[in-house]
Parts: sequence; C-alpha cells; structure tokens
Amino acid sequence: MPLKGNQTSYFTSQKMATVSISKLEKTYSPGKKDAYHAVKGIDLEIHDKEFMVFVGPSGCGKSTTLRMIAGLEDITNGTLKIGTRIVNDVEPKNRGIAMVFQNYALYPHMTLFDNMAFGLKLQKTPREEIKRRVDEAAEILGLTEMLDRKPKALSGGQRQRVAVGRAIVRKPDVFLFDEPLSNLDAKMRVQMRAEITRLHKRLDATMIYVTHDQVEAMTMGDRICVMKDGEIIQVDGPLDLYNKPATLFVAGFIGSPPMNFFSGTVEPEGEGMRFVESGKDEAEPFSITLNERLAESARSKHGQAVILGVRPENIATVEGQDTTSLPAIVDMAEPMGAETFLYLNSARGSHFIARIQANRIFDADQAIRVRLDLDKAYLFDPKTEKVL
Amino acid sequence: MNSKTKNNLGETIKIGYLAFILIFAFFPLYVMLVVSFKSNEQFLANPWFFDKISDWNWQNWAGGWETVNGYILNSIFVSFLGTAITLVIVLMCSYAIARYNFPGKNVIFYLVIATMFLPGTVAALVTLFDLLMRMGLVNNLWALVLMASVGGQVAGVFILRNFIEDIPKELFESAQLDGAGHLQQIRHIILPLSASIISVTCIMDFLASWNNTILPLLLLRDDQLLTIPVGLFRLDGEYVKQYGQLMAGFAISSVPLLVIFLFSMKFFIKGLSAGAVKG
Repeated sequence: MPLKGNQTSYFTSQKMATVSISKLEKTYSPGKKDAYHAVKGIDLEIHDKEFMVFVGPSGCGKSTTLRMIAGLEDITNGTLKIGTRIVNDVEPKNRGIAMVFQNYALYPHMTLFDNMAFGLKLQKTPREEIKRRVDEAAEILGLTEMLDRKPKALSGGQRQRVAVGRAIVRKPDVFLFDEPLSNLDAKMRVQMRAEITRLHKRLDATMIYVTHDQVEAMTMGDRICVMKDGEIIQVDGPLDLYNKPATLFVAGFIGSPPMNFFSGTVEPEGEGMRFVESGKDEAEPFSITLNERLAESARSKHGQAVILGVRPENIATVEGQDTTSLPAIVDMAEPMGAETFLYLNSARGSHFIARIQANRIFDADQAIRVRLDLDKAYLFDPKTEKVL
Repeated sequence: MNSKTKNNLGETIKIGYLAFILIFAFFPLYVMLVVSFKSNEQFLANPWFFDKISDWNWQNWAGGWETVNGYILNSIFVSFLGTAITLVIVLMCSYAIARYNFPGKNVIFYLVIATMFLPGTVAALVTLFDLLMRMGLVNNLWALVLMASVGGQVAGVFILRNFIEDIPKELFESAQLDGAGHLQQIRHIILPLSASIISVTCIMDFLASWNNTILPLLLLRDDQLLTIPVGLFRLDGEYVKQYGQLMAGFAISSVPLLVIFLFSMKFFIKGLSAGAVKG
C-alpha cells in the first residue's frame, strides 16, 4: 500500500480553504423552452480541511455543483467563495483548486512525469521545483518506478493514482473529485477508497468528493451532503445521516440494503398508538403497538397515512408464536457468508429485507415470524416525506 | 466445400483484389520510371519494359532536373505556405466549432460546409481571374498561396471537427484547470492526438497545391515564377515531345511528396489515444 497516512508532507495544506456556497443556481438554456434547472439555489458551508461528500442519484445536481466550484460551468445565480474570495468569475486555473475526473483524463501522449508536470510547466515553475514536486507526489502514490511510462501501460487504479498525483503537485487549496472510483473494479475501488482517505489525512486539505455510491460516501466523508433534484436534502456526518435521516429519501438512499418502508395508518390504542399496515384488505395486516417515542411523534397523525421505516438489521426472525412478532413469507434468501439477506413478503403485500445471522437456512415460501425493533424505527409523513 | 477451403478461397480473393488495386495504382509510376530512361526511339520500340542498364538514357534525368530545378522553390513556397495557412485555419475553426457553444454555431458550420458545393476553380475561372486582377495578384505567387489556403480547409474542418468531438472533453477541462488557454489546448491536446488526421489533411492539401496546374497557368506570366507542373510544359515541345525528359521531370517533382509521405506515415499507424480514458 503506497500511502503512509501519518507522515506530513511538503504538500500538506497551509492555507485556510473553506468553500461557501450561497443560493447557488444553475440553469441550462435559461429563458428557453428546454430550460433545465439543474441546481436550485443551494446553501452550503464546507469547512477548512473537511472531506465533504456530495451524494445522490443521477441527475441530482451533485456533479454540476462540483463543476461550478471548479469553474467548468458558469454560475447562473448565487455566490461561490473559496477562502475569503468570491470566485464566481475567476478562471478555473486561478481558483486554487485541482480536480480528479472519473475517466482519469490523462494526456495519452505524455509520460506520467509529463502528465503530472503539465500544469506546473504552464505556470512556468522552475524545472528543479517541478521535478521535486513530481518526485514527492510519485513517492506518496507509489508511482516512482513508473514515471517514464505512458498511461496506456498502467492499470485503471494506477491511472487514477496518476490523476490524483497531477492534482497534488499543484498544491491546491481544495481538491475536487468527480466520481473518481466509478471506473474501477470492486477490489480496486475499496483499495483506492482507503488511499484517498489516507491522502486526506496526510495532506490535511479540503476535499470535495462526488459519488453516487453511498458506501463511498459513508466510509470517506467527514460530512455527507445528500442531494436530490437540484436541492440539498440533508447535510450531516455519516452516522448521523444513517441514524437520523431527515426524509424518506435520505432514509432510503443511505444504507445497503436500503431501509424497509411499510405504508399504513396510526390508530389510537388505549393510551398509546398502533401502526396498522395498509394493502390488500382481506389479508392480516402488520399491526404493531408503537413505542412511546414513535407514538409521541405520530400523535397528531392518528387515523392518517404514515410510512414506517425499519432498517434490515433491525428486523429479527423469532421462533414460535410470540404476541409481538409478525407473520412473513420468505421470498428468497441471499447468504453473504457472515450474514444472510432475507427477502420477505407480508400478508398484505409489503416487500422487505431482513439482515440476519447466517446460522439458519430458509426455503422459499417458508412461513416465519419476525420482530421489528421499534427503538430504531422511524415514522414518515407520506405527503411531505419528512420524518415525524 | 469444407470451411478451411472456403477460408482459403476467401483469402485468395482478398489478396487478388488487393494486388489488382496495387498494380492499378503503381502501374503509371512504373511506366513513368521506364520511360524516363528512354530516348524517343527507345520508347517507341519498347514502351513497357526497361532496356538494358547500359542503354539507359541518363540525359533525360539531367534535362528533367534542369527544368524542375528552376521551379521547385516556387512550388515549395506555394504548397508549404498554402498548407500551413490552411492548417492554422482548420485547427482554429474546428476547435471552436467542436468545443464551444455560441449563438449561430450551427449556421456557421453549415455555411462552411455549403461552400463545398460551390463550383470549383475551373467553373469560376473568369470571375476568379477578374477578382485576383483587381487585387493586383496576377503574376504573383501570393495569389496561389491565397487560393491554396482558402480552398482547402472546408473538408479539413468537416473531418477534424468530428475528430475533436471524439476526444474526451475531460482532457480539455483538465488542461483548462492546469491553466492552458485555447492555443495551448490546441497545441498540447489536439495536435498530438489528431496527428494522424491532420497529416492526412495536410498531405491532401499539399498534393492539391503541388499538382495545381490551371491556376498557375492562368495567373503566372514570368518564367521565374512558374511552378513545376506549368514549368514541365516547356518540355512538351511544339513538334516533338521529349517523353523521357518529361517523365524524368515528373519523377523528380514527385520526390518531395514521397519524402513528406514517408515522414508522416508513422502518424497513420500510431494509436495515440490509447490509454487516455478508461479502456
């Protein structure tokens, strides 16, 4: 493994590099029939030396936002500040940023050395300084032996490392990564993920990272900015996002397998409240007494539709007839080795997944009973999609 | 017929076809070389094959060189300059059209392409002569440079635009972040990555300019300004054609083209874009 996380380096960032985004908007073909509002007035403060991950489905505006920060897209409205300077109209080369692209974007006719030195040569950096920077970046990334090679002689992971090296030698205030691992195979992706995280620690620089892969987001980010349809839905630390999703979308997007959702209503039950699953009327519904926390949050909703969200790891199979357990039919089981993903159907037709220990074997159509851990469950309003 | 026999037959047809094309292409060159070593009598007696080396008429080559020698610099001046100006225009125009969106971009592109359908030099000869005369360019080599540089770029723009559009845009964006301006992007990305297509365009333009006969014949008056094709007409005597000298002159005048072609050959076969992006 080439990176050594505990070493400081010549490239270690010295500058304060916050990125402040205020009411940032991007509209393609404004004023025309086919106008497309890609980013809808977002506000975000990225702290100095923070690793911020933008995550969201395709077309959510995350890459457009990154490209606006890079200066590769014009800003339609709003203000973008890097450090204390408003950079809306500043040329990309003068913003103090460096970007790593998904498809590496290496110059195929240049050697690795020339690829990494290209920007410095354009800046008319003295030759000895160029050599010093490239050599150190190559050492950090384990590329020293390959500097005379051309990109076609490298594997995907090595090419991406060169792309990172090209960013490092520029000593930018802010590093931008646009889905840099998407083209790599699964094993290389895990390795590069760790390398970029170590690099962040070593360089102590502000990094903004765009991905559609929530595992990358969870494992790498100091904070994660979840976007959808050009808007920021939630910005939080990985575990806060996982444990306290603000909306149905975040709850469903973060976590793999995703959170299970059951549509139903809340009805009074004595002093408390009960969730009753909706669906096929003739079948027996999931009917669960809500705990105090959920009952309190659903107090104003009684008789109304809600969505109950439970993560797969908070659903357990139970033996025998237990009054707090619920009936389910096994659709299929996916043994993952250490655990099994159990795909289940309720009698009323809800599909859900349970993540259980891999010590039992299940058959398709087998009737089992499950228990939901309501201490780690959420209720959502189906209209606003917000957590109750 | 088993599949092996079928394959062999296919291969034979393929090789036969290629051989036919090669013979078709090289036969005139062969005849040119054969005739260039013959006197008119030898040519009439045996037009298709070489004579004994001892009978070769080397005088033809000396005569041919004497004729071409006076005009070769004119041809080189017109063709090099015309091709260079064409290349600059083609690169800038293709880069702008391929890389940037601006109002009227498509209209400009279609207008450029539309000029391909306008009548060529021969059909517009009278008006062209009139225009160049008013510009004071008759009997001036710059008229040929101008005509070579404004005529050749349309096909080049058409081809190179598509080529540039196929270069991953991230390469340009990366260069932009590195601080490369437009000219640097053309120099460091387009030129090396499009070398093969640019060299094809250049060779075609150079060839067209080098072999252009009508315009120099029409525009040039002074003997010292003539280009090779027109100069070679001097060997085409009123009563007796000096076939041997004429062919030797043609052979000598094609040498620069062969040299250029041999130098640019490597760009045809080099896959420069390998490894640019994931692959």
